[in-house]
Amino acid sequence: MILSARSLTVRYPGAPRQALDGVTFDAVPGQLLAITGPNGSGKTTLLRALMGLIRPESGTALVGDRTVETWGREALARVVGVVPQREETVFPLRVREMVMLGRYARLGPVAAAGAADREAVARALARCDATELADRRVDELSGGEWQRVRVARAIAQEPRVLILDEPTASLDVRHEMELFELVRELVDDGLTGIVITHELNLAARFADRMLLLDQGRVVRAGTPVEVLDREVLGRVFRWPVAITTWNGTVPQVMPLRQSERGDSRTE
Amino acid sequence: MRWRDGPPNLRLFRARLRRPGDGRLRLPHRLLRPVLFLVLAVGACRPGPAASAGLRIADDAGDTVAVPAPARRVVSLIPATTEILFAIGAGGQLAGRTKWCDYPAEAARVPDVGDGMNPNLEAVLAARPDLVVLYRSGQNASAAERLRSLGIPAIQVRSDALADVPRLAQLLGRLTGHEHQADSVARTFERDLAAATVKPPAHPPGVFILVWDEPPMTVGAGSYLSELLARAGARNIFADLPASSGQISVEAAAVRDPDFVFTSNPLVPAFASRPEWQAVRAVRERRFLHGTGSEFSRPSPRAPAAIRRLTAELRSAGAE
Amino acid sequence: MRVRTVLLALAVPVTVLLAVGLGSVPLAPGAVWRGLIDAGAPSAVIVRDLRLPRVLLAFLVGGGLGISGAALQALVRNPLADPYLLGLSGGAGLGAVAAIAFRAGSPWAVPIAAFVGAVGAVALVYRLAVVSGRRLDPRVLLLAGVVVGAFAAAVMSAIIVLSDAPTLRNALLWLLGGFGGASWQALGIFALYAVIPVALLFRSARSLDLLALGEETAEYLGADAERTKRLVYVTTSLLTAASVATCGIIGFVGLVVPHGCRLAWSPLHRRLLPATFVTGGVFLVLADTLARSVLPPLELPVGVVTALVGVPLFAILLRRTLA
Repeated sequence: MILSARSLTVRYPGAPRQALDGVTFDAVPGQLLAITGPNGSGKTTLLRALMGLIRPESGTALVGDRTVETWGREALARVVGVVPQREETVFPLRVREMVMLGRYARLGPVAAAGAADREAVARALARCDATELADRRVDELSGGEWQRVRVARAIAQEPRVLILDEPTASLDVRHEMELFELVRELVDDGLTGIVITHELNLAARFADRMLLLDQGRVVRAGTPVEVLDREVLGRVFRWPVAITTWNGTVPQVMPLRQSERGDSRTE
Repeated sequence: MRWRDGPPNLRLFRARLRRPGDGRLRLPHRLLRPVLFLVLAVGACRPGPAASAGLRIADDAGDTVAVPAPARRVVSLIPATTEILFAIGAGGQLAGRTKWCDYPAEAARVPDVGDGMNPNLEAVLAARPDLVVLYRSGQNASAAERLRSLGIPAIQVRSDALADVPRLAQLLGRLTGHEHQADSVARTFERDLAAATVKPPAHPPGVFILVWDEPPMTVGAGSYLSELLARAGARNIFADLPASSGQISVEAAAVRDPDFVFTSNPLVPAFASRPEWQAVRAVRERRFLHGTGSEFSRPSPRAPAAIRRLTAELRSAGAE
Repeated sequence: MRVRTVLLALAVPVTVLLAVGLGSVPLAPGAVWRGLIDAGAPSAVIVRDLRLPRVLLAFLVGGGLGISGAALQALVRNPLADPYLLGLSGGAGLGAVAAIAFRAGSPWAVPIAAFVGAVGAVALVYRLAVVSGRRLDPRVLLLAGVVVGAFAAAVMSAIIVLSDAPTLRNALLWLLGGFGGASWQALGIFALYAVIPVALLFRSARSLDLLALGEETAEYLGADAERTKRLVYVTTSLLTAASVATCGIIGFVGLVVPHGCRLAWSPLHRRLLPATFVTGGVFLVLADTLARSVLPPLELPVGVVTALVGVPLFAILLRRTLA
């Protein structure tokens, strides 16, 4: 399933400038697209617009070959699994129940959950290495466990597209890497993957393509090598950086310290 | 009661003038006349405790109050005492009444000072009373205190039962200087009451006293209405109520099967058409006793007339 | 969980029989039974025409208040939400007091006026809470509810002070809650009226599960958040307004029962809503029975009993959730 944006322009009511301005890109199956940019560059707005939660001022968001407005909420949820940045846990459920929420789009309001649904939940938990958490309450989990459960919920939706918004915030090294490895696996199995992230270096190592946003506009799009340019990054993030290479091919961003500026060490 | 050294402020003034080592009183000559005038003027303005002959009354709240007799400007904060004051001929000494004091007609000419419960003290004071009569209740206790601290004799009295009528008549008679008339009113009342009281029949008709319908509320044995009905030869079916008034259920009324329902509504009351009330036979058969008129809401000299009305209604209803 | 469900199911007929058997008039169990089966028995009028509809009505009202509370707690994502938070009680009180103060004649005047007042208050709160873009904001909802409720209560107090004080003191007693006005007619009207709102709420169970995660997350998982919010708001308001019109303001059922059921069963609404309905019904029937039998023939207002019982229960529940 292809997710696309065509000249997507969004303005929040009463805002002086546009949150998104003419954003165009495609996310295709088998590819992981990383969307990055400084705070306030419009990354989460892009997600909302892609999912039809915000009406664009102009331009379109397409899911498959149809505009997102033509999809109903339930139908969309059967096809696109989103792991949002934040959610509330006022009434904590058990992990098993939380993952089952991902099946609701397929069950509708009336039908009872069947064997197929329970199997989908079990598979999703297994995929995320969260099976032993199944009977724990959600408010008893650590940050990493909680994140795995939410990814499992998205997988239980059996989507064709997986979108994660800042999935590694507050995760330690091990959990960060585990999460990205998992997403990479799923994408390699045929899903379309989109990750919104601050982690330029992880994005460079795991993503096939990257999108760099600044103040709602696409500044660079392409492979990590094409996008991670020293001058562009320095301008967009307003902080001098150096680009090094890992394993000969993967660019890694090194923000410079005050004392390191003026040093012409690059590549 | 007289101060031995003169009013307190003059005493203070004298103390200030005494100089050490000087046994005599010395007044600055130039200031003598205006200062003396000021002192006397201030002393005259303060309403001190009754300096003239008065009575010490123990009121129904247990307080002892000194009341000037005769009281010439009475503010009556109870409709029953307003009636009684007029009955004993002291209507001309009324300086204020509550807005609920609707009997006799002459009461309308007395200035209205508002509510009797938690009274408006400003309005009461504006009537410049020398006696205030309040209904004995927790709410009025503080009002009575305030009035007394402002130098106005205030008494709290009970006015709940028929026995209170002659008692209050005599008390108010003493306080307003109408003892003879009060005694005669009390005697007439007791005589009329005895005459109007019917000998309790072998099977007195049961009456359900409904004071409010939503939710259903009734009164117990100690209440005034209950007493009136008993003297009219009927029986309050909720005489065993554990409180003086309270909310009851329709089913309790249904099972006690009253012969009549007492209501203050002159017509068939609205609740009679509600389905759940049909369980009470007296409502179904529209057997109502109508107790309209303020003589049913408070003990007053009109009580014997009220009893006679009830007796007549019971008799005519029983005859149908 | 199985055991609890069975116990709850059994509790219903047991409670109903107990409630029909007890009351301000002592009746022997045999007399109660005879009254139920034989229309001509002496106890029949009491049992059939007064107690049975009263008990059934209390059950329905308790159930309605319970699920309204549960749904509202999901809607505003706040465990302290209660059906009366949306300004309903103030509006209903104002309506009832106005009907009495202006001496409306019909015997149904007070319930109808209370209903109209409640619905009016709710509509006003809704209007206040709809922010730009016509989205219903739950935080504004709560605040607007408090404000409108307080204003209505103030107007009500002003009316009481300015008019015939003794009669209106009795009006306040009505507001404290009671099933004295219950009859088969009232039961029929409430039951017919409540069918649709209750059914709609049950149908929204899954949407409520999702809504509890936050609106954005709920939409990503397939819920139509706006539609669900509006539906829950309207149905709970209608159910609660009808409850107030029937029997005054009875608190704590909508607040405490959902919490207890979440702990005992599950926060998932497909299980929570039915459990809350039945538990709320049983709770209110027991409260009404207590109100009728504690000091016969006096009746305590049911709202007082639910508060007296509800507060310690709530305290226990709080400690268990925090533990």
